[in-house]
Amino acid sequence: MLTSLHIEGNSLLHRLPVRVKLIALVASSIVLFLSSSLVLQAIAFAVAATLYLSVGLPLKEALKRVGFVFLTIFFLAAVNLFLLPVSDVAALTLRLMALVLFAAAVTATTTISAFMDEITILLSPLERLGWLKAADVSLALGLVLRFVPDIFARYEAIREAHRARGLPVRPLTIIGPLIILTLKDADTIAAAIDARGFRRQ
Amino acid sequence: MNTRDLVLISLFAAIVVVLGLIPPITLGFIPVPITAQSMGVMLAGCILGAKRGALAFLLFLLLVAIGLPVLSGGRGGLVVLQGPSGGFILGWVVAAFVTGLIAERTVREGQAETRQFVGFFLASVLGGIVVLYAIGVPWISFVTGTPLLAAAGGSLVFIPGDLLKAAIATLAARAVYAGYPLLPARA
Repeated sequence: MLTSLHIEGNSLLHRLPVRVKLIALVASSIVLFLSSSLVLQAIAFAVAATLYLSVGLPLKEALKRVGFVFLTIFFLAAVNLFLLPVSDVAALTLRLMALVLFAAAVTATTTISAFMDEITILLSPLERLGWLKAADVSLALGLVLRFVPDIFARYEAIREAHRARGLPVRPLTIIGPLIILTLKDADTIAAAIDARGFRRQ
Repeated sequence: MNTRDLVLISLFAAIVVVLGLIPPITLGFIPVPITAQSMGVMLAGCILGAKRGALAFLLFLLLVAIGLPVLSGGRGGLVVLQGPSGGFILGWVVAAFVTGLIAERTVREGQAETRQFVGFFLASVLGGIVVLYAIGVPWISFVTGTPLLAAAGGSLVFIPGDLLKAAIATLAARAVYAGYPLLPARA
């Protein structure tokens, strides 16, 4: 039900460690936002587009992934044309498109487990302070992935029950029961987790 | 944090994912489709309270960031955070927290039903609309260069839909509160 946006491959970005990619993404955001040079933004756009197209996504899928964000960018660019000089609008639009393409390339070339390993490392200072446990974050993430299909099945069941009774299917009448039924499971699940000693406390 | 809180947070994040899988509902009188997902912010605050509501959305944000297509329409990944609407997505965490904070302070058991409705609606509007736009709109203005007033003016289109969402969230939150109260009672 939830397939990762990661794409198998062996491009340059696939081989780089996650940390390098994330630092590069943050660094390029900062540099591009500090600069108003049209040339720099255009180069960044060309580089990001090349990187993104080289990760091995079919063109149609590649466009689909960034299309909805590009639509908002173009819409805002159209608004900006009435308010700002054309060269500014071009620089602003290229900068955003470059960053979006770069972000899409990082997402497509990084596995969820690689992200999780990096997050665990990032959380370790907080863990030392006793604020949270990195293992809890992985557990929470696992629980979400485990329960999405169940909750969706429950949504379908409630919808069918509405239909069977001839009631209109409205968000209002579905969301309440869906949430109550789901959250009522929390105690059972929590007891099961504690019984297995997953959190060692 | 006890295990029950951890599970509640995870289950709520999973509910938000499911709300994104529900096809959006288009209403005749406003141009924007109602996605059940953006109601999740108001619901999280009103049902789980400030801390757990915000953590549920932080977890949801983590799912987005690591490349799971959990946003409505199968969107996800760092793309969404890097795009113009990134502020709204990040703002969800703060919005859920403020919604919860207000709900915790205005709604308690034994009140008249109307007062509970008013409390949840106030929390949903202030947290889920005012706070969210206070983060999202300047963000748009910053990343796209659109002057703040133009960005704010353009966002007005979404307000009627958001008020409707706040109304639906209020009714749903109150139904959950009556059936299975979780909102932390303030001592």
